[in-house]
Amino acid sequence: MLKRSGFSRRNFLKGLGLGGLVGASAVSPTFQVMAKPSQQVSGELRILQWSHFVPQYDRWFDPFARYWGEVNGVNVTVDHINLAEIPAATAAEIAAGEGHDLIEFLSPPASFENSLMDLSDVVQEARTRFGPQVGLGERSTFNPTTNKFFGFCHGWVPDPGNMRRSMWELIGMPEGPKTWQELLEGGERILNEQGVQMGIGMSNELDSNMAARALIWSFGGAEQDESERVTINSPETIAAVAYMKDLYERAMTPEVFSWTAASNNQLLIAGQASYILNSISAYRTLQKVDAPVSDDVFVTAPLAGPNGVSLVSQHVIPIYIVPNHAKNPDAAKEFILHLVANYNQAVFNSELYTFPAFFNTAPQLLEEGGWLDVDPFGSRPINKLQLLKQAESWSTTIGHPGPANAAIGEVFGTFILPNMFAKAARGEMTPEAAVADAEAQMNAIFERWAAEGLIGGGR
Amino acid sequence: MGTVSEARGGPKLLDREGFLAVAMLMPAVLYIVFLVGIPFVMAVLFSFSDVSVGSPTIDRFTLETFNDVINDPVFRRSLQNSFVFTLFAQGLVLILATVLAILLNRNFRGKWIVRLLILLPWATPIAIGAINWLWLLDSVYSPLTWILREVGLIGAGALLGPRNVIWLGQETLAMASIIAIHVWRMLPLSTVIILAGLSSIPQDIQDAVQVDGASFLRGWFQVTLPLIRPILMVAMLFGIIFSFTDMTVVHVLTRGNPNNTTQVLASWAFYTGIEGGSLAKGAATAIFLMPVLLGVAILMLRVARRTEVR
Repeated sequence: MLKRSGFSRRNFLKGLGLGGLVGASAVSPTFQVMAKPSQQVSGELRILQWSHFVPQYDRWFDPFARYWGEVNGVNVTVDHINLAEIPAATAAEIAAGEGHDLIEFLSPPASFENSLMDLSDVVQEARTRFGPQVGLGERSTFNPTTNKFFGFCHGWVPDPGNMRRSMWELIGMPEGPKTWQELLEGGERILNEQGVQMGIGMSNELDSNMAARALIWSFGGAEQDESERVTINSPETIAAVAYMKDLYERAMTPEVFSWTAASNNQLLIAGQASYILNSISAYRTLQKVDAPVSDDVFVTAPLAGPNGVSLVSQHVIPIYIVPNHAKNPDAAKEFILHLVANYNQAVFNSELYTFPAFFNTAPQLLEEGGWLDVDPFGSRPINKLQLLKQAESWSTTIGHPGPANAAIGEVFGTFILPNMFAKAARGEMTPEAAVADAEAQMNAIFERWAAEGLIGGGR
Repeated sequence: MGTVSEARGGPKLLDREGFLAVAMLMPAVLYIVFLVGIPFVMAVLFSFSDVSVGSPTIDRFTLETFNDVINDPVFRRSLQNSFVFTLFAQGLVLILATVLAILLNRNFRGKWIVRLLILLPWATPIAIGAINWLWLLDSVYSPLTWILREVGLIGAGALLGPRNVIWLGQETLAMASIIAIHVWRMLPLSTVIILAGLSSIPQDIQDAVQVDGASFLRGWFQVTLPLIRPILMVAMLFGIIFSFTDMTVVHVLTRGNPNNTTQVLASWAFYTGIEGGSLAKGAATAIFLMPVLLGVAILMLRVARRTEVR
């Protein structure tokens, strides 16, 4: 439920003071901070974005965008589609040279770079107005080889662990696992003693992609280095794959091979998972479906690997792109800046699912006694999400420690890493062979994108 | 007596056979050119190029893409799966559709309701049907699993063990599931085609079979089957095309899981071309559908011609 307490006069005035916002401020029913566009805009602005996981977000966003349009003489239309359809829709529009002016991706869209406008000017302007952008936002949208911002990251979604506390309490670990080793031992005990498995996907879908990377990084491995060279075949990655095989055999069932983006939520809600890796979406769903059970779900910090490294990928990362065919790029850029100026509303209406890429725009999130300390959406205890205040320190983006380039995008889109784990877990290959197999596939992909001139400029 | 057009001073445009033939064929020709021909030519060109979703213009031609595709183990598995999927699905469809058509060709009360019910899967958009099946085969909420549990096949000491059946997470079950759902979807079309064939057999031939005292099987194999063989071929060839090129069932149900063991050529072309961003690789993957489709198309034309001659 939307609570108006989040939009107090104090918060609104704070918003007004952000980054030296100038010009006329109009107060809409949703208290928009209305920065004066730096250039005259008009005409049509067509926006394509996903149907947000939190329906309230779309109910807020659409009138928000239209209102900006009314004030600035731009006719704004917003089309929503399933997030999985966005790459296909974008590919079709680019091939046709026709379509939306502004498209929101939920993962780095580097492979589209040649057909996208350089948004360096918007990024620079946003930094001037709103302060620094989170590092993972830049690494997801900036190509060091071409020196181009092919997208604009306005937010990101943390990917902590979610656990059923009552299950972990019964095995003497009420705070849940803190390391991958504890996850293995605790998960095995819960399965054997309580008959409940855990769910970390190894399939062709988003959550599995994120989980695979978290595990590799925590064990000290990486897909590529900072110079965009494939580094997957390392003793660290092999150890991570061997660990996952062990985890599957001792604490999971074959359903992790048919994992979908909804599986985390379904299993947690059904009481069939002791631990999952997910954003807070599963928890928020459970709050609405079964509030008492949701009280038993707690978010946990990422798990540490053998050397104490804890690192996870953002869960999804909303990135706006402006295709070369856009008929109204100026309005698109101005709207991006307007959205960022009002990002406290975006965060609030996403029920704290989406975090800001420019933290200064939503100070209520992290401030003492702010939303993460006192969840406005009824968590019990009220500070259940408090540990997300540190989320930026343990989050990164795909391709870490390098940029989220086009090759990483293809590796991501063809699910090479989840399948690498699955091959070993299913006993089809040894961990060494599974990693070597993934390396061979990745090398071919990296060579192709390097030939295209989109990666490897840092070598 | 002259026609009205003649009376008005010669045949009108629409009365000229040559023009009428061209006019009536044109929509089909345009449809084929724009929605089949041009995309096909583009796919061939793309497959020999380096195009990506971000650069859909061809800068250079290369054979490298095919080299990449052929060396990709997922492609090889997808190719194999496409044949397995098509052969099993079509085999089952043909047998079940024939049985159904024989039953529906008889007179019984409520026949139209049964026909309507059988046609429903074909009338339902496949995406919706597949999503329903996704729920029916869910690892937690599956009603099928619930039924198995209720009848005692799942549980402590039961035949299938204590845990839920993971329909889509185990290789064989997942493949069997997508084949079964494709059969469910294709059955109505084949049944209607075969039913049309059975209905076209003259009554006097059927009477003669009965008067001669032939058993059902003998009558079926020696009289009915030869008579409907051309139409059976049509049903089978249509089915092969639909099965070999289908990606909806795989995309909605398994996305190729577990571990790409249910991936087929059409779905892998989509994942590499669109989700992976390599249009050239996606196009090159899809090109491998061609030999089979071409073979089937030639067969269909031969069957049509043979039927025409008779």
